[in-house]
Amino acid sequence: MKAKMDVKRAFKSPYMFIFPTLLYYASFWLIPVFIAIVMSITNDDGGLTLQYFKSTFTDPLFKQALINTLIFAFFSVIIQYILALGLALLLNRKFFGSKIMFFIMLIPMAIPPAAVAILWGTGFQETGWVNSFFDITGIQYLIEWMGISDSNILWTSVDGNRAIFLLIVIDTWTVLPSVMIILLAGLQGFNEEYKEAAYIFGATKRQALRDIVIPIMKPTIITSILLRLIAALQVWLIAVLMFGFGRVPFLVERLVYFASNRGEVSSADKYATTYSIIVVVLVMLVSISYLKISNRNRRKV
Amino acid sequence: MRFSVKATLFYLFLTFLISIVIIPLLYLGTISLSSPLDLTMYPKKLLPSLGYNLKIEWMDEPDELYYSISYKNNDGEYEELNYLSKFDRIQSYFDQQLNITKSEEELQKDFEVAKTTGEPVYLRYNKAIFQNYIKFFSVVDGARDGVVNSIQAALWTIGISLSFGGLVGYSLARHKLKGKEGIGLGMLVVRMFPMVAISIPIMVVLIKLGLNDSMLGLAIVYSIPNISLTAWVTRSVFIGINRELEEASLIFGATKFQTFYKITLPLVLPAFAAASMYAFLGAWNDTVVALILSNNNPTLALAIFKSVGAASSIHYAAAGAIILIIPALVFTFIIKNYIKQLWGES
Repeated sequence: MKAKMDVKRAFKSPYMFIFPTLLYYASFWLIPVFIAIVMSITNDDGGLTLQYFKSTFTDPLFKQALINTLIFAFFSVIIQYILALGLALLLNRKFFGSKIMFFIMLIPMAIPPAAVAILWGTGFQETGWVNSFFDITGIQYLIEWMGISDSNILWTSVDGNRAIFLLIVIDTWTVLPSVMIILLAGLQGFNEEYKEAAYIFGATKRQALRDIVIPIMKPTIITSILLRLIAALQVWLIAVLMFGFGRVPFLVERLVYFASNRGEVSSADKYATTYSIIVVVLVMLVSISYLKISNRNRRKV
Repeated sequence: MRFSVKATLFYLFLTFLISIVIIPLLYLGTISLSSPLDLTMYPKKLLPSLGYNLKIEWMDEPDELYYSISYKNNDGEYEELNYLSKFDRIQSYFDQQLNITKSEEELQKDFEVAKTTGEPVYLRYNKAIFQNYIKFFSVVDGARDGVVNSIQAALWTIGISLSFGGLVGYSLARHKLKGKEGIGLGMLVVRMFPMVAISIPIMVVLIKLGLNDSMLGLAIVYSIPNISLTAWVTRSVFIGINRELEEASLIFGATKFQTFYKITLPLVLPAFAAASMYAFLGAWNDTVVALILSNNNPTLALAIFKSVGAASSIHYAAAGAIILIIPALVFTFIIKNYIKQLWGES
């Protein structure tokens, strides 16, 4: 009888609401993480080895992938936040057509990554729509006159930092609205009285923005930058559809390359899990150091 | 109205911003409606052409008899496309290269005028404008199954995320739990975790469960961040519901069941709808997890990703991309007001 009561009570316990999810995460998240670690440090016979990490670290493509990933994440986030803040401040004003403008500017964030990749993949071909548009509008003349290129630009054969910059442009087109909507929500939920108080005390518009608006929005901005940064560290799809595998390597691009070539490349799943662990560690390192830096700055204020 | 330079410049700038968003999408739409012939043209048109002006001539050469088919190009000149004599060949050429679906009999009727009169015949044929969309499903590998698969994966994801995440959200809002902050932090960590990194090892788990290469298997992975997200979104709604309202309903004699259905559910429904649209988008938009986990059962996004590569299929890929975009666009606009929560606002 008592045991029955206990069971009944256990089922009524609030932890019963959380238990299924904990079980779910244990089986489909923690166990796979554990399997990944084991897979990356054992060879096919089951013996312990670090050979996959060693050969990954000595692979020139890995080094390039790491550098490219960091450059991409750093610059894309900075560019996107500056542009998004400008756009949010613009859309925060009331003007004729501001609602429609807001809707149109949101469209790119709704487009699935595969469609984004096809959109820009078709655009940046030699006879694609980007060059067509340049020809029709006369931008092509400008390009030739400025000496950038004397014929249609061969977008897909650019390399190095230019290729990364091209990918940043595509990425910015896609994610700018989602960054902007966060900043705009912050601006609109903002208590106007603070700003008015600042004006009464003689602050200029810019001072009010810098010293009142941005500091109050800071927690929102910090979380959203963190999530944006993590997403940027996982860039791969646009790079592959623009340049193919291996031309402009990124960490997740390498991961996907090995993961989708199991059976063709030897020990591909070993290398894929090795890259998985590297990506996770990098994401954790970047997140922690980012949070530390932003906390330190907060204390100063 | 007073003319102002400042306002004019302002609206010019807005036009510039709008065109950055709209022009790429217009081009994508145009490519999705293009025939292979259109794709060979340069510069590409911003708006699709609806048909071709054709010139058909009967050629009576000493050793050969054929129809010469020309079309009016962008410069307004007639340019020869092909010369053919048999109508089954002409019919399939029109169908494959020009997206014109005319029966052999119709073509024969029109063409033979050129033969009998000896004069060139000028025609305008309209394109079957949505032909690429129809052919996308028959030509691209796995496209037809991909739609079903994507919807299936999305429904599973919604089911799992809502049932697991909803419970957690309710509990976080209503119960006094020890370690509440730990749970909140854990949920944030799960959402920040790069899911692509567990795609390979989770296959080991899925194979054990007999779920590899299945939509439920994919949904299990998609649900990992979505359970947390659902918990996050529903938690704030459950907090917002006035408990006294429920109590009042009970005092007036409603059963607990009635109270839930008549009072609580209508209040939380919008949040659950939003959470399910997130879950839908998470499954619908994904390419990478599906690429790693699927062997023979691609989702729509994966089928489209794989169709790229053959340059000749770019118009099918574009049509597929538009099909992929439409549901994503609708749902994103419905849930845009919840987007703050997606970004970890508490």
